[in-house]
Amino acid sequence: MGMSVGGGGKVQSEINVTPMVDIMLVLLIIFMVVTPFLQQGITVAIPRGMRNPEVDQNIIKESSVVISIPNDGEYYLGKTRISLEEMRDRVDQMLQNFKSDQDRIVYIKSGVGVSYGEVVGVINEVRALGIDRIGLVADKEKKGAAATAQPDA
Amino acid sequence: MGMSTAKPGTKAVPYINVTPLIDVLLVLLIIFMVVTPLKPSRFQADIPTQRDPNEDLSQLKPNPLTLVVTIGPDLQIKLNQDDMGSVNETGVLATRLSQVFQQRKETRAYKPGMETRTDVPEDERIEKTVFVKAPRSLKYGEVVKVIDAIKGAGASPVGLQVDDLPQ
Repeated sequence: MGMSVGGGGKVQSEINVTPMVDIMLVLLIIFMVVTPFLQQGITVAIPRGMRNPEVDQNIIKESSVVISIPNDGEYYLGKTRISLEEMRDRVDQMLQNFKSDQDRIVYIKSGVGVSYGEVVGVINEVRALGIDRIGLVADKEKKGAAATAQPDA
Repeated sequence: MGMSTAKPGTKAVPYINVTPLIDVLLVLLIIFMVVTPLKPSRFQADIPTQRDPNEDLSQLKPNPLTLVVTIGPDLQIKLNQDDMGSVNETGVLATRLSQVFQQRKETRAYKPGMETRTDVPEDERIEKTVFVKAPRSLKYGEVVKVIDAIKGAGASPVGLQVDDLPQ
C-alpha cells in the first residue's frame, strides 16, 4: 500500500536494516552476558576430543558438586581452593541440599596431565560420604558428534 | 566538497552507512558464539562404596562375567588376561568389547538379579559392567582415553577400581 506505484516519486530501494541491527545487538548482549556464567569454576585442561561422553547439563548448575584438579595437589570445589582434608566436610555440606539419592553425583574435572593417583585420592574422599557415582568431565568431539549419534539411533 | 554544492531542488539524503557497523557486530557475535562452550559432557563412572572392614567377604561369589580393563605402567592395556595393545590405539579394545557384548546378547548373559526382569529393556539386562584399573602414576588423560573407548563399546556401568592400585 505504501509501496504502491507512485508516479514521479522514487521507489526507495534500500533495505531497512534497523530491525536487523536491533536483533544483532540483542543477541550480542545476550551472548556477552551468558558467556561468563557458562565458564563456571576455574580453567582446567579437561580431556578434549572424546567420542562418547554423555551430555549433562547439570555440570554447569550452580548447585552441583564439581571438584576441579588443574594440577597435581591443587583442588578446587567450584571456584574456591580447598585442601584434600577439608574436602570431605565441604562436599558433605553441599550434598545436604540434594533431596533424592538419584542426584547424588560428584563431578570431577581433572586436567589431562594430572596423575591418576590424585584423582583416586579425591574419589576416596568422596566415597567416604556414600557417593557411588561420579562424573568425569570431558569435552565431546564436535566433528564426531554427528557420526556417533547415528549408530545409536 | 560534493555535499557543499547542493543545488536547490535535489535533497541530500541523511543516510548513515550501517554496513561496517553490521560487519563488526556480526564478527563480535560469531566470536562470542564460538567462545561460548557447547554442551558440557561427562563420563559417568561408578565407584565402590566404603565397606565395613569387618564384613565377611568370603561369602561373595565372584562374577564369572566380570570384565576388568587393566592399564599397565607401560601404557599397555589388558582385558582380563588378554593383551589389547597400547593406550594410543584403543580401537582394538573397543572392537573386542563390542564382540564380547554381542556374544553375550546372543547367549543371554544377564546381570545378576536381572534374569527374570522382563520389564527392563533387553539391552540393560545384559551384563556389560567393565572395571578399570590403572596405576596411580599414570596420567589422567590416558585413563580417560581408555574409558572413552570402553564407553564407545557400549559398556555400562563403568566402574573405577580405587583400592590397592599399583604405583
